[in-house]
Amino acid sequence: MIKVSHLSKRIGDVQALNDLSFVAQNGQITGLLGPNGAGKTTCLRTIFGLLKPDNGKAEIEGIDVAIDPIGAKQQLGLFPDPFGLYERLTPREYIRYFAELSGLSSKDAKEATSQVIAKLRLEDISDRRCKGFSQGQRMKTALAQAIVHSPSNIILDEPTRGLDVMSTRLLRDILIDLKNQGHCVLFSSHVMQEVAALCDQVIVMAQGRVVAIGSPTELCIQTGKDSLEEAFIQLIGTDEGIAA
Amino acid sequence: MNKIIAMVRKELIDAARDKRSVMAGLYYAIGTPLIMCGLFMVLIGQLTSPDDLKITIKNPDKAPDLVRFLSNKGITQGAADGSDAKDLKAIELIISTDYAAQMNQGKSAEITIVADNSEEKLQNSIRRLEKQLQAYSAEMGSLRLIARGIDPRVVQPLKVNVQDKATTDSKGGMILGIAIFTMIYSVFISGMNLAIDTSAGERERNSLALLLSHPLTTRQLVLSKIIAVSLFALLGLVLILLVSKIAYAFVPWQELGFSVNITTEFMLLMLVVGIPVALMAACLQLFVSFMAKTFKEAQSYLTMVLFVPLALSMAASYNIAPDMLQWLPVSGQQQALMDFIKGKDLPMLQLLVSTLGTLAIAILLAFGMERSLRSEKVIFGL
Repeated sequence: MIKVSHLSKRIGDVQALNDLSFVAQNGQITGLLGPNGAGKTTCLRTIFGLLKPDNGKAEIEGIDVAIDPIGAKQQLGLFPDPFGLYERLTPREYIRYFAELSGLSSKDAKEATSQVIAKLRLEDISDRRCKGFSQGQRMKTALAQAIVHSPSNIILDEPTRGLDVMSTRLLRDILIDLKNQGHCVLFSSHVMQEVAALCDQVIVMAQGRVVAIGSPTELCIQTGKDSLEEAFIQLIGTDEGIAA
Repeated sequence: MNKIIAMVRKELIDAARDKRSVMAGLYYAIGTPLIMCGLFMVLIGQLTSPDDLKITIKNPDKAPDLVRFLSNKGITQGAADGSDAKDLKAIELIISTDYAAQMNQGKSAEITIVADNSEEKLQNSIRRLEKQLQAYSAEMGSLRLIARGIDPRVVQPLKVNVQDKATTDSKGGMILGIAIFTMIYSVFISGMNLAIDTSAGERERNSLALLLSHPLTTRQLVLSKIIAVSLFALLGLVLILLVSKIAYAFVPWQELGFSVNITTEFMLLMLVVGIPVALMAACLQLFVSFMAKTFKEAQSYLTMVLFVPLALSMAASYNIAPDMLQWLPVSGQQQALMDFIKGKDLPMLQLLVSTLGTLAIAILLAFGMERSLRSEKVIFGL
């Protein structure tokens, strides 16, 4: 469970987060939906303790990130944007490295790596160096890194960006799988279809604050529109920065 | 602890596969001793057998004795057909036509040297010619005095004796000072690329934020990077020591009257002394490169920063150093190593102070790095 309460953060002259509060429950997929520059990435970075909020706090499984960052991060897996692969390592080495950094022992990390490689069907590329990988192969490697230590909470930053249909479908299946296993999945996106198809709960963000929270259907009813896209435009009051 | 081991292992695997990092270390460690050996060989060759100096002598028939004297000293007339034009120096010695007559009358006979005094390369040759002419002149003068029944020592009120106190080992130490300098500098060169790659490069690849999103402290992160870079730097030092040991054995030192021998004891001492230097080099390079946003930026900062240890080490090896230098980091260690190679006692106190200074700088930089990596400005380059 990820709980964010009254987060505020100013970066330079921009009020990136403005009294932001929401809860992402276990066993649910929560989408952070907002136009470009709404503060989605800032919000996710604050949850990881990489940015310090001016106000408010972020809790993971009840652990305050500001007070016990190591304990809190132990409960998290991150699928970042951009991926941050090490081009000279193979996916197997890469995944194992981050498994060990997440606190797994050397032996457990090796085992978990083999499991996640099998799960994501990475066998054919698992011992090739990452240099020259396609976007889909990179995505799979980064995703494997995020879930190798089976964290209770998984955070994905713009996960479908630059992916083809096959990769997107694979990603979607894995997210649903994680949800069914009781994980808390939180992802940021500005792609409507993605959010509509996947999310149990949508948090609509604009200018650093929450505009609306609810399931896609609830949001449509609330605004009296037929599609999530229409509802979204109605909610944020502009169609700037939206990808259909 | 497990996390640090995992990180160091990953950095080393990553670095070993990075051609740029490996090459930078290897080129320097293997190339420098070889170049030094080549230079020393040429130098020794020049010092021990000065070449014949070929010049143009006009009217040699007027002063056959002088010409014979000069040719005994290796200064000869160039061949008339110009076959040795390549070796012929642009120096002309003109013997006046009345040379013989003047000599006979006990007067000053006139000879003229025509050469471009501003030309750097000719300086040595001109001076050599002048020196021999002076010697000949003095000899003739003495003979004239003796012929007149006067002791020639009357006109030589001063007799200057020069006693070279340099022992053969300390002469060799001078040359080894330069060799030691190249070894100390290898510590800085070998780890540099890895230091940049693992800090500025990490940010450039966007993996720094991902790394910091994992449950590890910035101290663990900083320590593991320092360990990895130091190991790489020490690897460079071991390599240069091995190559030096083999290569320096081929230089004909005995022609200079001393021996330069890289002993096992010296190699061990160099390694032990090198460890704190490597730590400081790693901290310095990582600290600077974490400040830079890109690989290139870090490279240009580092070339500027590395001038400081370079200058310290250089100053120590050329003996132009004020005494204070033996207490400072890098130069202190360098002077201690030079004393050791010259067969003197190790200046323990100075070595200890400079080593502690080196470690203190390393620790300060490590703390600075730890602090800066907590700053969101540094992580995201805001």
